[in-house]
Amino acid sequence: MIALSIVQLSKTYGHYRVLDQLSLDIPSRHCFALFGPNGAGKTTLMRILATLTRPSSGQFRIWGYDGVTEKARVRQLVMYLAHGTHLYDDLNAIENLRFCLALRGIIPSDSQIKRALDRVQIGPFGHMQTRYFSAGMKKRLGLAKAILARPKVLLLDEPYTSLDERGIAIMNAFIQETIQREGAVLMTTHDREHTRQVANHMGILHSGVLRTFPPHELSTYVVY
Amino acid sequence: MSFIKAIRWMVWKDLITEMRSRETLVSMLFFALIVILVFSFSFSMDHQAARELLAGIIWVAFAFTGIIGLGKSFLAELHNDCLEYLQMSPAPKGAIYLGKMTANFLFMLLAEVVLFPLFIIFFNLDVVEEIWILLVVFLLATEGLAAVGTLFSALTVQIRAREVMLPVLLLPMVIPVMIAAVESTRGALNGEPFALYSQWFHLLGVFDLIFTVVSYWLFELILDT
Amino acid sequence: MIHRIIKQIQRYKGWVGAGAAVCLLTGTYLGLIASPPDYYQGEVVRIMYVHVPLAHTALLAYTVVFAGSIWYLWKRDRLIDNMCHAAAGLGFLFTGLALITGSIWAKPTWNTWWTWDPRLVSFAILFLILAGYLMLRTFLTEDPDRESRYAAVLAIVGFIDLPIIHFSVEWWRTLHQPLSISTRGVSISGELLLPLTIMSIGFHLLFAYMLMVRTQLLYLDELLQAKKGRLLTQMHLSRSQTSP
Repeated sequence: MIALSIVQLSKTYGHYRVLDQLSLDIPSRHCFALFGPNGAGKTTLMRILATLTRPSSGQFRIWGYDGVTEKARVRQLVMYLAHGTHLYDDLNAIENLRFCLALRGIIPSDSQIKRALDRVQIGPFGHMQTRYFSAGMKKRLGLAKAILARPKVLLLDEPYTSLDERGIAIMNAFIQETIQREGAVLMTTHDREHTRQVANHMGILHSGVLRTFPPHELSTYVVY
Repeated sequence: MSFIKAIRWMVWKDLITEMRSRETLVSMLFFALIVILVFSFSFSMDHQAARELLAGIIWVAFAFTGIIGLGKSFLAELHNDCLEYLQMSPAPKGAIYLGKMTANFLFMLLAEVVLFPLFIIFFNLDVVEEIWILLVVFLLATEGLAAVGTLFSALTVQIRAREVMLPVLLLPMVIPVMIAAVESTRGALNGEPFALYSQWFHLLGVFDLIFTVVSYWLFELILDT
Repeated sequence: MIHRIIKQIQRYKGWVGAGAAVCLLTGTYLGLIASPPDYYQGEVVRIMYVHVPLAHTALLAYTVVFAGSIWYLWKRDRLIDNMCHAAAGLGFLFTGLALITGSIWAKPTWNTWWTWDPRLVSFAILFLILAGYLMLRTFLTEDPDRESRYAAVLAIVGFIDLPIIHFSVEWWRTLHQPLSISTRGVSISGELLLPLTIMSIGFHLLFAYMLMVRTQLLYLDELLQAKKGRLLTQMHLSRSQTSP
């Protein structure tokens, strides 16, 4: 079953072509790692797949649902952990979690929330306003959000930044759990070492053009 | 996801945030105080003729104060890219609009309810008999301002010169609300019989209905591709 | 892949322009020379031959913006968005001229540059709404998709609001000043009707002509920018492929 199907996707901003006829299939139970230099278009691709902007041409399907005409269904299936933390500074960690999940139609119990916070090791900080969180703690909170939301397609924009070794291990464990759950993961990253542990397929995006390769050829292709 | 639940969560989030930071309400109240003082110096307010202007001054103060609140409403969402999260969430955009509008309405109404006693005190108004009529005017006019204002706040928050663009775009659109609010307030303050100015209530009701529906429909276009 | 409507614009705009010129020249001659001065207002009434058509055309322009905005939101056709932008700019121009000519007429007639006549006030508000629309577009040029969408939303809200604004201002004026002086009070005698009609048609045609030209300009400019972008991207790609 193809979880994520991208066909000839292009995106132009004004007169600059960011993505050029990009095609990619990601089956379920797969994690795809996307490398590429800064400004290559990785975040633009993620934003299109998260239905935040429309492609200029081409289409994509998530579990068979068209990303442009069936946005509501796609949004229910996809979770995008982006560069911005999507946190309200005046709310504490638990309140932020409740709000974000409520918008997805999920009402977790207190024990579920506690378990998720403990799993990402910010359990003691549940009642602290997130304005006092460090970048790493905010990242872990985002992960807790995904743990509770259990999306079928997980989009991760540089998931390892701000995380220490322990945090990266928790992140990778969750990625593997998502894959085993018949989900699919697409992540952008610059970190070769930790990505190798979870990705079963890779690609490099350069000037809007994608080239895929198997993980063992990582060093050949990713040389920027 | 229940539509009503989504609205309630949006309102809850805005109320809790405001209760903890108190940023919006405090800015609104102090701004309004300054406006009242400036008007008092600009027109010599003991003069009998100035009483004719009072209804207008009240609503100018309320309108500009409201715009401050409306502007901050979506500005808060820009921080940490929260607006992005609202955009990509499966919750219906109409529910997000109604939630935001309700929160804005409540804040604006609260500011008006706090400020009006100050007007009573500064200008020695006698409003005991008309207090309910005035309250209805406040409710209807604020709803109209909040309905269009929430839509325009979302529209202007992501563009350059947003603090200028919101009043520039909003004020011409809400002129009917301003006229109706000022005329009904003046009628009530002067103790005129209700039948003389009841037409303005109808105007406010029609405006509120039409523009809440129109803004509700159009909000999706602002927040979505 | 130049839009087929652009080809038609290219073919017909000359005719529309010529028609506008003919009507306007005829109307001006009739209005300034051939028709008699008004019994009450004297020579000044001649400005009505320009003011009234300008006002009508301004409203026509705004209707075009409104209808075009709805059409754009439905079909997302770039040409329609360009037409909305062009029509708004023209509407702004015509509304401004209508206000100025109205003011020029008001001074000798009622000895005041400005009167709070409901229709004049409504036009002043329309002027502000169109100014806001154009400002919005100027501030969003980095993101053309959002620019078009937001502008369309603004146009729709404004158009629905216009009759409500007009009624509320009218009620307000009847309360505070009886409508003894009003542009509606001007009776149009038969001799004045002919030049007025010809000028109206002339201004409508002028608007159509300017709309066609400006829409074409905006559309071609977008195409040019896109082409420039494609060439630049290709150059950049070929250069980066040759370097190590």
